[in-house]
Amino acid sequence: MSTQAISHPAAAAPRSGTNAAATRLVLRIGFVLLAAVFVVATLLPLLVLLKVSISAPQDIMTARPPFLIYNATLEHWRALLNPATLYGPARHSLLVATGTAVLGVLIAAPAAYVISRMPRTWRYGLILGLLFTQMFPDVGIAMPVAITFLRLGLNDTDLGLMLAHLVPTLPFVAWILVGTFEMIPREVEEAAFVDGNGKIGTLARVVMPLAAPGIAVAALFAWLKSWNDLVYAIYLFLGERTLPLMTFYYSNRGSVFDTATFAVLLTIPVMVVTLALQRYIEAGTLSGAIKG
Amino acid sequence: MLLPLTLYILLLTFVPVLQAIGMSFTDRYSGAFPSLSNYQYIVGRPDFTAAFLNTLGITALSVSMEMVAGLILALMLARTFAGRGFFRTVILTPMGVPTLVAGAAMLYFFRTNGYVNEALLRLGLIDVPIYWTESGLRGVFAIALADMWKVTPIVTLLLLSGLESIPGDVYEAADVDGANRWQSFWSVTLPLLMPAITMALIVRAIDAFRIFDVVMVMASRSIPVMSTFVYSNYFDFQDPYSASAAATILLLMIVAFIAAYFLLVERRRGELA
Repeated sequence: MSTQAISHPAAAAPRSGTNAAATRLVLRIGFVLLAAVFVVATLLPLLVLLKVSISAPQDIMTARPPFLIYNATLEHWRALLNPATLYGPARHSLLVATGTAVLGVLIAAPAAYVISRMPRTWRYGLILGLLFTQMFPDVGIAMPVAITFLRLGLNDTDLGLMLAHLVPTLPFVAWILVGTFEMIPREVEEAAFVDGNGKIGTLARVVMPLAAPGIAVAALFAWLKSWNDLVYAIYLFLGERTLPLMTFYYSNRGSVFDTATFAVLLTIPVMVVTLALQRYIEAGTLSGAIKG
Repeated sequence: MLLPLTLYILLLTFVPVLQAIGMSFTDRYSGAFPSLSNYQYIVGRPDFTAAFLNTLGITALSVSMEMVAGLILALMLARTFAGRGFFRTVILTPMGVPTLVAGAAMLYFFRTNGYVNEALLRLGLIDVPIYWTESGLRGVFAIALADMWKVTPIVTLLLLSGLESIPGDVYEAADVDGANRWQSFWSVTLPLLMPAITMALIVRAIDAFRIFDVVMVMASRSIPVMSTFVYSNYFDFQDPYSASAAATILLLMIVAFIAAYFLLVERRRGELA
């Protein structure tokens, strides 16, 4: 079912004309049906979350839940948007995610720049090594980190959670940034250097502006990873809560509506950022890894 | 300039990993090292066996479903058709959904009074609602489906970029040789796609073995997996030693899988080529 084979009329040539046309029609209908199935399967869970978050209890808390909304209400959203519940978790989530993104780029960018100027084999070896650190389960890394942070008084602090979120984030940020710096031709840099910019000047005035889009993608990636994280937060935040912890807390208590509303709230920023990033996700970061 | 990153990874990844492995070999009462007592203790527990088997089941099921769905989607997206941009955007939306939220959404499908049961009841396929989130095949299936929903887009993108890197002239050659669509799929597309498939499979399997968020939200107690077993040993039983042992076993499972994959699949492919 490859593009080329299907678009090639030669592939169907040996058959008679009407037969081939019929086959093509059947294939086209099959294709559309399949696409429809995927679209529905993808959107349904999200629609259900939205639906639950705006449904009155009698539509959900019943043995035979209806598929449509009969009694809509904004009661759950009103309860959620109460500053007393929302302010703390939202502040932690925002601060930690932003801090993780900034620190992640600051720590990874210099290293990524150096790696990007290394010979090819070194480059891929180092990147692979970085990604292999991700093989050890998070739940196993988070535990000793939590024990150490407890001693250092970093549990339940935004700084502690930022430092922990950098563990799963840094390798990917470095990976994206190496790809970004690789794209900047050495000649551009050398020309700037010869023009009397100096090493630091070249970096600040020439390399960084050219790398800005890649840096933005890496930062947003780190932001999302931190915003979504449950593992490290669950180990390090015992008193305070982040938004994912709130979602988990309500699901664990079986609060159907709070879970759905928090889940939707958690998703909105991520959805916005991901849609904005879609172009870049395809172009650079993922494909670079395979094609090498 | 490498220093900050190197230091960070040493202090906050390597040291904790070594600490965890060290703790797993330390006896939790006497402090004796090295000792296998933590391993002996957890391996004998029924909830460990359940966690081990559930993890294997979820990984096998979700990774194979993801690979099939991802491959179909990638092949669809490799074509040009009206509405392709819209289709692609819709298909990729789960990437913009936190994993935890994917689990929460599935909760409403797989509760006893959830929509899956309701649909089955209305279709007359069952008379009594099914209890989905129990340990065993049903729970494994429900969780694998939640995981699949969330990550199929990533698999699709990985395979799509693999497909796009296959030059068009190999298809023309196959065409000239009289290969039909199936033949050219099996003998041209699939072999050339192997590097992308390997990459997607390994990346996904590592994550599936470590599955945590979805399980915590959907069935934090009733369906143990390795990650939640680690967590509950640390938090519920205050026993970081057994937790470390379980984390180390999980690491070994991942390493064993990757080694087996390269030995069985990649080497054979090398011999054929």
